[in-house]
Amino acid sequence: MTRLLIADDEEAPREQLLAALRQAWPGAQVVATAVNGADAWDAYLEHEPEVCFLDIRMPGLSGIDVAQRIGAQAQVVFVTAYGDHALAAFDAGAADYLLKPVDPGRLAQTVQRVQARLARPADPAAHGAAPAQPPAPDLQALLRDLAAQVRRPAPLAVLQAAVGREVRLIRTDEVIFFESDSRYTRVVHEGPGGSGDALIRTPLKELLTQLDEAVFWQVHRSVIVNHRHIASAVRVDEGHMHLTLRGRPETLPVSRHFQAQFKGQ
Amino acid sequence: MASKPIDWSQLWYPGPRRAFTADEMARAGSDRPSPTLLMMSGANVALMAFVFLQMAPPRETARLLALMVPLLLGAAALARWLWWRPWRGPLMVATLVWLALSVATALILRWGFPDREERHWMAILVGSTCSLVTVLQWFLVVWRAQQIEARLAQQAEREKALEMARRLAAAQLEPHFLFNTLASVQHWVQTKDDRAAPLLAALTGYLRATLPLFNRPLLAVGDELAAVERYLQVMQARMGARLDWSLEVEPALHTLTLPPGVLLTLVENAVVHGLEPQLGGGTLRLRGQRQGPGARFEVTDDGPGPGPALQEGLGLANLRHRLALTCGDNVRLSLGAAPGGGFRALLDVLAVPPGLAPPLQPGPPATPREKP
Repeated sequence: MTRLLIADDEEAPREQLLAALRQAWPGAQVVATAVNGADAWDAYLEHEPEVCFLDIRMPGLSGIDVAQRIGAQAQVVFVTAYGDHALAAFDAGAADYLLKPVDPGRLAQTVQRVQARLARPADPAAHGAAPAQPPAPDLQALLRDLAAQVRRPAPLAVLQAAVGREVRLIRTDEVIFFESDSRYTRVVHEGPGGSGDALIRTPLKELLTQLDEAVFWQVHRSVIVNHRHIASAVRVDEGHMHLTLRGRPETLPVSRHFQAQFKGQ
Repeated sequence: MASKPIDWSQLWYPGPRRAFTADEMARAGSDRPSPTLLMMSGANVALMAFVFLQMAPPRETARLLALMVPLLLGAAALARWLWWRPWRGPLMVATLVWLALSVATALILRWGFPDREERHWMAILVGSTCSLVTVLQWFLVVWRAQQIEARLAQQAEREKALEMARRLAAAQLEPHFLFNTLASVQHWVQTKDDRAAPLLAALTGYLRATLPLFNRPLLAVGDELAAVERYLQVMQARMGARLDWSLEVEPALHTLTLPPGVLLTLVENAVVHGLEPQLGGGTLRLRGQRQGPGARFEVTDDGPGPGPALQEGLGLANLRHRLALTCGDNVRLSLGAAPGGGFRALLDVLAVPPGLAPPLQPGPPATPREKP
């Protein structure tokens, strides 16, 4: 059974797509619905669905941001109220898009295309006589262009953590890693401003949208690490990997989705 | 009008200063010389040659033709070359080439015609042809450059008009807004949800208020506020608990007139850029108060506020343009961070110009209108 994810910040379009998908693709199961981009990414990591229907304009992370993070590991279908020029590029191949309100005929077509792509072997070269395919447009480059058009607020510089009766101000560049801890996020930090552990209320998935991606790398659904503090990535066995840190005893898990970024050179 | 300074460089380096780019030439200068132009040039050259041959001693006709034909062919080649590059650099090159040809001709005359009297005649004829061609080259370049410049200006004018029309159309109705709203209406109609009817009513009210909005040069604040309220009702239905809003404008200000869409644009801006991108949404406030002889309108949201590089989108640029056209210095729009965080747009009407609106009457204070 194919597993699907639906993300839209508005209730009615989300529900409509859900209902329409039940009709158009009875063999699939919607494993998660998300109400914003941060939620969608978190739900993707949790459920690893094969197909993601993403609204483009969402708070937190845009649909395009989420698609960039997912990369080639799932099929992405963008859902948008209005077809921008850039979206027409997707018509050609690798990803698909739907216009809101969703038209059942168009949705059926999309479902067919996605099913065909899912059935296709991931690596045609490995299967000998695979028919020659036209070169797919460089989806990642297209996504980069689209993402560049979206305005983004400046990354968070300071965190406020309540420790007992004081509110501690922690500069984000002194943070070593964040770890989600049931209802809180644990912040481990070290620097001239003080060192230690603190708990903040902002969930990790929201924090992710506010941090500088170049410095803070997500390595697990519940772990974001400042890459300057990573000492090494250790592969334990086929599916498991962890990170060791400079001058600290903790090891951090790297989940399957993120292992590709530590592959050596 | 200030008189232009004399361009003295034209004395030693004559011709149009502006060199057209390859792109400009492709857009406005890709035409070949017209057949009429070629016919007229040919007729003039034939007439001139006929007159010269009549003036020259009859026995020199053959030799004169032998000199003139290559010279005129050379001149035609230079003119053709200049046609595709009508500015002063190439003109200088062409003039120098032509000078060299003239000097060569003079040398041929010096050695080819031993008879003094004949040489004199030939020198006058060939010499006047040469200077005439130089002047004609200059004339050709100036005329051609003006032709191309006029076409470029016309094209720019047309593009500007198209751009303005496009901007205005974009400001009137945001397709994202319309289709997202229709998606909600459609779903709630299908599922027989009670929210469909009020949303459809608000959308209808919004469209009725905004579609003719931009046809009028000025609009009463009261009418504009009705459109703003409809807009907020639509967004309320879509965003649910994520949107909180209030309108507090003194009733005395309702008769004030402003260019249409000013307050609506500021409110839409706050919702789309301030509140929608926030995970938890936020609050929007529109306040309007009398201030001295004028008024102040304030639109605030508690979103992320202005970034380090505040970029004004099409809607705001369009708004500033219309404010400047209609109100001049009387209305000032300032955008920036709100005191308590978030974004604030301040619209100050400094003085109500006579004829723009009835004078403000003291009235009861504003009663806040909020989301139900």
